[in-house]
Amino acid sequence: MLGILIQKELKSILLSPKFVATFATCALLILLSVFVGIQEYHAAVKQYDAAVQLVEQDLREASSWMGLNNKIYRRPDPMQIFVSGVNNDIGRLSSVNTFDTIKLRSSIYSTDTIFAVFRYIDFVFIVQVVLSLFAILFTYDAVNGEREAGTLQLTFSNAVPRAQYILAKFIGSWLGLVIPLLIPVMLGLLLVLFYRVPFAGGHWAQLSTLLGASILFFTFFMAFGILVSTLTRQSAVSFLVSLVAWIAFVLIIPRAGVMAASQFVSVPTVAEIEGKQDGFEKSQWEKHREDIQKKWREREAAMQGMSEKEREAYRDEHEWEWLEQDDKDRKQMQKDINAFTQQLQEEARNRKAEQQRLAFTLSRFSPASAYQLAALNLAGTDAGLKTRYEDATQSYRTAFNEYADKKQKASGGAGGFRIEINSNTGIKIGNDRDKGTLDLSDMPKFTPPEHTYAAAIAPTLVDLGLLGLFTLAAFAGAFVRFLRYDVR
Amino acid sequence: MFKLIIEKELREIIGSTKFALTFGVCAVLILLTFYVGGRNYQVSHKQYEAAVAENLRQMEGLTDWMMLRNHRIFLPPQPLAALVTGVSNDIGRNVEVRGRGEVGAEDSRYGDDPIFAVFRFLDLDFVFQIVLSLFAILFAYDAINGEKERGTLRLSFANAVPRDKYILGKITGAFLALAIPLLIPILLGCIILPLLGVPMAGDDWTRLALVILTGFLYLGAFLTLSVFISALTQRSSSSFLLLLVVWIFAVLIVPRTSVLLAGRAVKVPSLDEHASQRARLAAQLWQEDRSKMAEFKPAEDIRENPEKMMNEFNTFMQKLGDEREQKMQALSTRLNEERRNREAVRERVAFGLARISPAAAFSLATTNLVGTSLDLKQHYRNAATDYQQTYAKFMKEKTGMLLGGFRVMAFRHTDGPEAKKEPINPREIPPFVYAAIPLKDVFGAALVDLGVLALFNLIFFVGAYAAFWRYDVR
Repeated sequence: MLGILIQKELKSILLSPKFVATFATCALLILLSVFVGIQEYHAAVKQYDAAVQLVEQDLREASSWMGLNNKIYRRPDPMQIFVSGVNNDIGRLSSVNTFDTIKLRSSIYSTDTIFAVFRYIDFVFIVQVVLSLFAILFTYDAVNGEREAGTLQLTFSNAVPRAQYILAKFIGSWLGLVIPLLIPVMLGLLLVLFYRVPFAGGHWAQLSTLLGASILFFTFFMAFGILVSTLTRQSAVSFLVSLVAWIAFVLIIPRAGVMAASQFVSVPTVAEIEGKQDGFEKSQWEKHREDIQKKWREREAAMQGMSEKEREAYRDEHEWEWLEQDDKDRKQMQKDINAFTQQLQEEARNRKAEQQRLAFTLSRFSPASAYQLAALNLAGTDAGLKTRYEDATQSYRTAFNEYADKKQKASGGAGGFRIEINSNTGIKIGNDRDKGTLDLSDMPKFTPPEHTYAAAIAPTLVDLGLLGLFTLAAFAGAFVRFLRYDVR
Repeated sequence: MFKLIIEKELREIIGSTKFALTFGVCAVLILLTFYVGGRNYQVSHKQYEAAVAENLRQMEGLTDWMMLRNHRIFLPPQPLAALVTGVSNDIGRNVEVRGRGEVGAEDSRYGDDPIFAVFRFLDLDFVFQIVLSLFAILFAYDAINGEKERGTLRLSFANAVPRDKYILGKITGAFLALAIPLLIPILLGCIILPLLGVPMAGDDWTRLALVILTGFLYLGAFLTLSVFISALTQRSSSSFLLLLVVWIFAVLIVPRTSVLLAGRAVKVPSLDEHASQRARLAAQLWQEDRSKMAEFKPAEDIRENPEKMMNEFNTFMQKLGDEREQKMQALSTRLNEERRNREAVRERVAFGLARISPAAAFSLATTNLVGTSLDLKQHYRNAATDYQQTYAKFMKEKTGMLLGGFRVMAFRHTDGPEAKKEPINPREIPPFVYAAIPLKDVFGAALVDLGVLALFNLIFFVGAYAAFWRYDVR
């Protein structure tokens, strides 16, 4: 019996003109999104390689270890083909040197703003917006449509168990819609292989989980459509209700949740943090200046009463030691500034984490947000991508600065740029000690933060669980309602 | 006769349950958008004020204008930008003003707070784009073929009803039935804004009115399109399906794809390359100047006076700095111009393609009207560059020189009590005042898209008219 019912459902879906139109649209869009994603990914890789090469060249041409300015670029990840997430919104690069704090800047949307005007098209967007709409389109009249057509009454004049009927409806439409959709998805995967996108094992695992999540999300909207059709008598009404729910789930709740969270938890902006940081930095430099001035005066005082020749000799003897001492003080100050900055950023990050928790909790009332969050986490293009990169760059900065420091010491440069004004000798300007190119062969290399499958799957479990729960609830609701549905 | 048809159409729409439901949803959404936009403005404004205050605070306690560094200006949130966000959250907001060199805005809102980038904001542009078009489709997809299915079309034409009057009446009636009720939540929303403390200037109201007008043009385009398609098809179910597919493409696919296509088709030189070229020139000029500095000898007659010597040195450094600046400027201007020309080509291709969709035309028109279109970036940059000159003039008056962001530490080795200096007053720095792109400029830019929308209305109307003329009413 179940087999026949499923068969009937399958036939009615696959043979309808509605199916042809929607299937063609979906197939086209999925392929388009993957194709566009691959093109964008390749362009991004090209840009990344060129940028890294430029940085290397600039470093090689630098002549002093002191002002050595390294730049770290965010490496494109092939998963962004399917889930672009915040990839275009967060900065692409960060300067790494002694003075600047780590900050990802120059996002794609801020430099090439035209791409921000209409945003992006990716696989997740298509699933979230288009496929969910089509799921509703095929199921909104699953039960009440048959009632209106009179076929429901006809069916139940035979000995058909209601439970089997509704189950068959569900399974039949699921098979009729999901399996055809797998065709363009598989074609999309072939495109990935064809264009030689470097997909590693972890990527395939992430991608298959993403596919699973997409199917689950799609299933939810099917179950939801059936639920609404069992709740109403007329298909026109159930369509409207489903459409309104779709608008709320997909377009409104995710945004409203995040915006509500921004009202409840206030987070300091970069500008504010940097203002505080600058204030501290200034006071530290001022203190440093006073300290050094005092020291130099003491040193001058020690030379009181010496003759000009003795002074010269004394200076020559001590100059190196003095410079070392000043340098040590400066480094200590720099360390203090760094520590303060870290603390400020830590605080801001905690606030942001709090805001994010609230925002996503509110948004998760919609399955569409749960799906999107799961997809972003899986692909590693979630909001945490920024902090992951900043942390990795931060630890690289420590290694890099230590290296540059060591090298500078070895090359014997005093660093900085000293101008001496002396009433006896006039103005003297220190010149570079190190000229020519630097040997950077043993410079520490930056390793981008790894987004392993294990790290990716953990935060998605909540969202996948929620999706499962939503689907189950919708189906159970439809099931219970149908058992008591008036088929006349 | 014409009035009678309009009246019938009005009654039919407004009396339906469909109308009650969709109107309720639209009203809630529009009110929500206004409310959320107003609150959002408040949050942004608070953040902006905090940033400005912190910028001044970090300078407090300095005793020498020479020590002034990291002076920043910020893009103030505009009241209407909360309603039509455009690219205002994508472009950099913070500019460090050094007095010379190129200004660069950093820290976009989405880049700073990526959680907002995950789902983005709810704004009027988005709600209108999606809701108004769906609304129009939902009420007009069966305008002709639905009546035929019900048999009422045949009945109507059993009387002496001219077809042209009938179709015109249908479209006018449907438009009035949808547009006028929508005005209620929109007007309520307009009242919410001042209640939330959003400072709307006289100019802003005009802009908002124009945005709403554009919304109605957009509504009209989808309405006439729906009637057109319903006059082309025999069954309402197929016209609905067709319209839904058209809607998906027009609203979701065409705008996005056309920009991405243009991005691939038109090559724009990358900023990385430019940054590298600039850095290399800067390093080279600095090396040249270092050797010049090393050769610097103060005039013999002032050797005894450190103050005078310092002054002469400053003048010398200033001259070198100015020369460096000029050379850097020349390179920057050339690179920027090159890039901007390519960007303009890309923009033309992208938007030219995107305008196939009324949704894109609508979005471009409204963002232009509000001043959050692509032009905002360049406009802010120009404003910041102008401000940099004001700031440079101010700093020159204060210190006699421009350091351009270098950190200078002056130590005095010689004895003698250091004069206790008065702290500087950072509030003396001229404040940055941002003025939105003037209405007359944006109106010109929006005119193209308003024209495109009007053209859509006309084409679809003529199409509907022609199709209905030959429609088989049986």
